[in-house]
Amino acid sequence: MSYYLATRQSIISWIKLLASENPTYFPEKYGGASYRFSLVKPDSDIQFEHYTPTVVPPAKLLVPAREELLSFRKNEQGKTEASPTLDTSFRVLAGVRPCDLKGIFMMDLFFNDGVPDAYYIARRKNTAIIAYACMVPCDPRAFCAAVESLHHTEGADVFITPLADGNLLAEIKTDLGKKLAATAEWQQCDDGPRRKAEAVAAMPKPFGRTFPLAFPEIAKIIGRTWQSDVWEKHVVRCFSCGTCNLICPTCYCFDVADSFNLDVESGSRTRTWDACMLPQFALVAGGHNFRPQPAARQRHRVKRKFEYLPDKYGQGSVCVGCGRCGRQCTSHIDIYDIVTDLIQEGDQ
Amino acid sequence: MQTAPSDYERLARDTFMPQAGKIVDVADMTAKDRYFRVELEKPLGHHPGQFVMVSILGVGEAPISISCGPRKDNILEMVIRRTGRLTQVIHNLKVGDELGIRGPYGSGFDLNDFYGKDVLFVAGGLGLVPLRSLITAVAAESGRFGRITLISGCRNPAEELFREQLKEWADSGIDVVRLVDSTENMPWECSVGLVTDPIPKLSIDPKKTVVALCGPPVMYKFVITALADKRVGYDQIYVDLERRMKCGVGKCGHCQINGIYCCQEGPVFRFSNLECLPEAL
Repeated sequence: MSYYLATRQSIISWIKLLASENPTYFPEKYGGASYRFSLVKPDSDIQFEHYTPTVVPPAKLLVPAREELLSFRKNEQGKTEASPTLDTSFRVLAGVRPCDLKGIFMMDLFFNDGVPDAYYIARRKNTAIIAYACMVPCDPRAFCAAVESLHHTEGADVFITPLADGNLLAEIKTDLGKKLAATAEWQQCDDGPRRKAEAVAAMPKPFGRTFPLAFPEIAKIIGRTWQSDVWEKHVVRCFSCGTCNLICPTCYCFDVADSFNLDVESGSRTRTWDACMLPQFALVAGGHNFRPQPAARQRHRVKRKFEYLPDKYGQGSVCVGCGRCGRQCTSHIDIYDIVTDLIQEGDQ
Repeated sequence: MQTAPSDYERLARDTFMPQAGKIVDVADMTAKDRYFRVELEKPLGHHPGQFVMVSILGVGEAPISISCGPRKDNILEMVIRRTGRLTQVIHNLKVGDELGIRGPYGSGFDLNDFYGKDVLFVAGGLGLVPLRSLITAVAAESGRFGRITLISGCRNPAEELFREQLKEWADSGIDVVRLVDSTENMPWECSVGLVTDPIPKLSIDPKKTVVALCGPPVMYKFVITALADKRVGYDQIYVDLERRMKCGVGKCGHCQINGIYCCQEGPVFRFSNLECLPEAL
């Protein structure tokens, strides 16, 4: 829509101003080397320079680990009454990187498809996203360029690109973005697209880890692969702990469970994150398990990211190349390595 | 672009809020399977082969097959096996108690695929429960079909479901073959063997036969092999599959068979459509 030039300090002040009015999340350093999306406070250390992907991606702020679907209680006639629990509060996610922005874009597709999910949509429609372009790979595990998420901007209300002169270019992409930026003291920029193109052209090539093939070819190879030694090669180290699912920006499978409050009359139905790598994920009553082997579960996970969901939605790779699964796996099983091996095998 | 809060609430209610169903009849079918006849607030409007999500708030929710044929009244029939916490609590319910019901969900059988054909049903164990929704519909207009055959097998005589109805169907002109894997020293008037055993002896015209089968996961491959020996095409075989399900609306991921959601595109599939899905059987 429109472009503005801003100093780093003015953007940081603006985010803090937004945080004084609405719950605003920004990747904050946590512990020795990791980051997490935390509520911005007046004394928060907000900076763009140092960053590795947050432990949990920002998409999970829209799909919380535990979310109440219904609450119920007994009315005066002794009948149980239930009502949906919806979160329609407004929030700002700032400092969202392109890989995570694409993750949220994918979640938008999944939860609006078929029977739309009221809970996700209620949160998403009340969430503003201020995204920030990566000019250099965040860490050695990133492969965002290889899965075409490095230049993703759709879904952001304001998209910020750092320029070579040290200033930042703020691209207002939606009406909500315009409303949020109304309080900012930035300078109108008439040649925004040109400046952005210059910044993009100066990005290192290759950017992060690469695949020898482009995405459509990778999807075809993985689509042809069912029996393969690659499924056994990496999974021998797998504990089936499900961490790779829980920290994935595009994993959204859930379990549903009920609980009573202490009065044993009222309670709630909640959904919680589930993980297709957990052994009981496809277990049915009577004891039959449709994916008993870890290799079958890993194949399902990889195919969901690179074949099933891409086929269904036609928006490219559903793996966004953030590198979280490899980074956080106890056994260092990296979906990048699995896919690289599959490509190599498929080429032979 | 902003959606009013009431719209979210309506959507959430439409998706996840169960309607109340009052239990009007219960009957023990076996030591662990119980029949439930439930009266809903409004007609379910289901096809044969669809399922509902059954719940008790505070205890949980599970997918359960619909066991009655399509009906115009508010009645829903189910047979529920006691197998976990929720079904244990459901088994303790009495006439007059309420259950939460969402649905119907899934694709189901289309009777148009069966009209004018010889129909063969193959049911293994609890598979008779969902298949009964189709058998009832076919039996109700039996003049519109050719020869109707039902092979119903179970582990032992004590596990046979709908025994009286099987006899009624046999009396009404359906060829009913009842089998047990083993009599286990119980009295048994019919055959002993697997549901695949009678298939080679049947006279099947592959050009005008359609087959519907439902049973434990291990059953399908053997039945389909036996049917292939009789030259029945894969596009004439309908299978009703089982998967773990938590939502019924294609989101929770548990029922996925390769790239498709069993709760949306299934649980009933034309077998020829499953050939490209190695996880199906």
